[in-house]
Parts: sequence; structure tokens; C-alpha cells
Amino acid sequence: MMACSDFRAQFQAGTDDAALLRHLRTCDPCLDYAAHSDPDVMFRAIGGDEIVPPGGIDAFVADVMHTVRLRGAEGVIAPPASTWHRRLAIAATLAIGISGASLVYQVEHRARVAPAQSVAAVRHPVERQITLTTKPAVQAYSSPNATIVEVPSETPNDNTQIVMIVDENLPADL
Amino acid sequence: MIPTQSAEPDDRELVRTIREGSSDAFEQLVRRKTSKVYALCYRVIGNSEDAKDIAQLVFIKLWENLEKYDSQFAFDTWLYRMVTNVAIDFMRSRQSRDNAVNSNLRLVKTATEPEQALIVQRKEIDNVFADISTVLSPKQKTIFVMNQMEDLPSVEIAKILGCRESTVRNHLFNARKLMQRQLQKRYPEYAQLWRSQ
Repeated sequence: MMACSDFRAQFQAGTDDAALLRHLRTCDPCLDYAAHSDPDVMFRAIGGDEIVPPGGIDAFVADVMHTVRLRGAEGVIAPPASTWHRRLAIAATLAIGISGASLVYQVEHRARVAPAQSVAAVRHPVERQITLTTKPAVQAYSSPNATIVEVPSETPNDNTQIVMIVDENLPADL
Repeated sequence: MIPTQSAEPDDRELVRTIREGSSDAFEQLVRRKTSKVYALCYRVIGNSEDAKDIAQLVFIKLWENLEKYDSQFAFDTWLYRMVTNVAIDFMRSRQSRDNAVNSNLRLVKTATEPEQALIVQRKEIDNVFADISTVLSPKQKTIFVMNQMEDLPSVEIAKILGCRESTVRNHLFNARKLMQRQLQKRYPEYAQLWRSQ
């Protein structure tokens, strides 16, 4: 234990010296001396020592261990139940998710397939229509770049006149 | 004389044993750290029963979270972090109720005679601190206690709280300023110590 005279000789404001602080915390006259020369040191006098909780360390430790064991026991019993519930919840969520996703997929798939079928159904008569329908007859056509070829009829009484018009500027809808 | 090997395992060894499932090792750890943990809780909270409850809560949290401890860091730093978190949370929840009580105390204490010759005594300082530290925020008080009473350097406190050292110093500076102002109001005889500097 440091002597009071040594403490007073060595004490300086803002000290962190462990031996000086130890003395400060156990000697009221030196605390008074130090606080008058460095008031900031005043509250350092409170600290330092370890404090025993009410009831003593043994009782404190016993309380902690009792709680820990209790929680441990709850943990042993509780987890299977909670795990079982959790697993069931996860499985249910997955099942709902998968069936929902497949439902959406089916609906979308049908939506995609259905227009294709109707197109196919429509396309067939259209093709026929194209083969059967004749374009309107050209009465007159005049262009400086056009090459017009008249195809002679093979049958004598046929009034049909076939004309081939070759022109880059020929309208597409003719 | 044949040197005997120390039978006491260090904190990290104890933690390793606890992780392997030994509750005896945990009991040993609790016994070893109780005084330190309780002292910090008591100084921060200022009430022995609450401090005891908080200290027990800290050890239960320690048991539950021991898997998270990274043994490359000092065990005490990790433990103190847990203590400060629990204590600060507790103080924050209690603060509004205390403020009402303290306003009454302040009125009583203002009547103290400033002219009395002051003899600074440890027991009296304990009471003064309990009174005036109520103006500090939970964090300021925790930092002040760790630095001034637990003798932890600001760099260590920064590690515990996970903040910068400059933040710790700012908190310390502000805590001192606030407490001096409180001393002026409620314990003018102590405030004179600063004025006479």
C-alpha cells in the first residue's frame, strides 16, 4: 500500500497510474487532497473495486445457472414441437407456391396455345380463298418503265386476256 | 520447488469447453466474471436490485449467444459490449420515469449551503454521482463509468461500443460538462472546486 506522502508527491492531474488510483480509492484524506488539486479526479474514487451482488456471488451464480438449465430444458422439449410446426408451415407454403405457379403456368400456356390454334384454323380457308379469288382485271396501265407482255389465249372462244406487267413501281395491291 | 501448472483455464479455453457442452465450465465463467459485470451494471444503473437483474440477464444472453463469440477478440471486450447494450437498453426504458423523480430531488438539493468547508469523501461522492449522473444519457453515463471507474482507456471503450475513439472522447467531454453544470445547481460546494482552479 502506497504511503500518503508518496501519493501526494506523485499525484498529478489526469493521472491514470494504477497505484495512485488504488490509493485514491481507499484513502479519504488523499482523495480530498487530490480533488482540491484536480476536481476531475473526484469521481475516479468511486471505481476500482469489484462489487458483490446482493445475496452474494454463490446465490447469484446459482440463480443464473438455474435459469440457464430451465431454458436449456425448455429448449430440449420445445424445439421438436416448434421444428415440426415450422416444417409443416414450410411444406404448406411450398405446396401452395408450387400449385399456384403451375396454375399460372397452365393459364398462360393455354392463352398462348389457343390463339395459335385459331390462327391455324383461320389460315386454311384463307389459303383456299387466295387460290380461288381472282384479282380485279386491269383495264389500263401506263408507265414508262413497265414491260407489258400480252399472253395469247390458247382456246379460240376464250374472252380472257392475260397480260403480264413487269414494273418496279407496280402497286402491290394490283 | 516444482512449479505447478495453473489449473485455471483462461477465458477462451472456458468458452471452448462450454461450446462442447459443459455447463460446469459456464458456471466457472459466471463465477469469474460476476463481480466485474455486476460492478459495471451497478455503477451504470445505480440501483443494486436492478443491477443484479441486469447482470443475470447479461449472463443468460451470454449463454444463448456464446456461439457468436469470435475467439480472436478479447473475451472481456465482447462481454462488456453485452453488458453495455443490456444496461443502456434498460436505462433508456427507465429514463422517462426517473426524470420526474429527479426534478423533485433537484429542488431539495438546491438548498445545500455552499459556504460549508468541503471535505471530499468517497461515500459522499458516491451519492453525488448517483444524483447528478441522471442528467447524462445512458450512453454518456456508460462511457463515463467505464473510463473513470473501470479505468478502461477510450480506445478500449471504442472497441466495446463499436464506435470511434473520438466519439468516446466527445461523450466524456460532454458528460463532464453536464455534470459540472449539475454540480453547480445541486452541489455548489463541489462546483467550487472547479472554480478555484
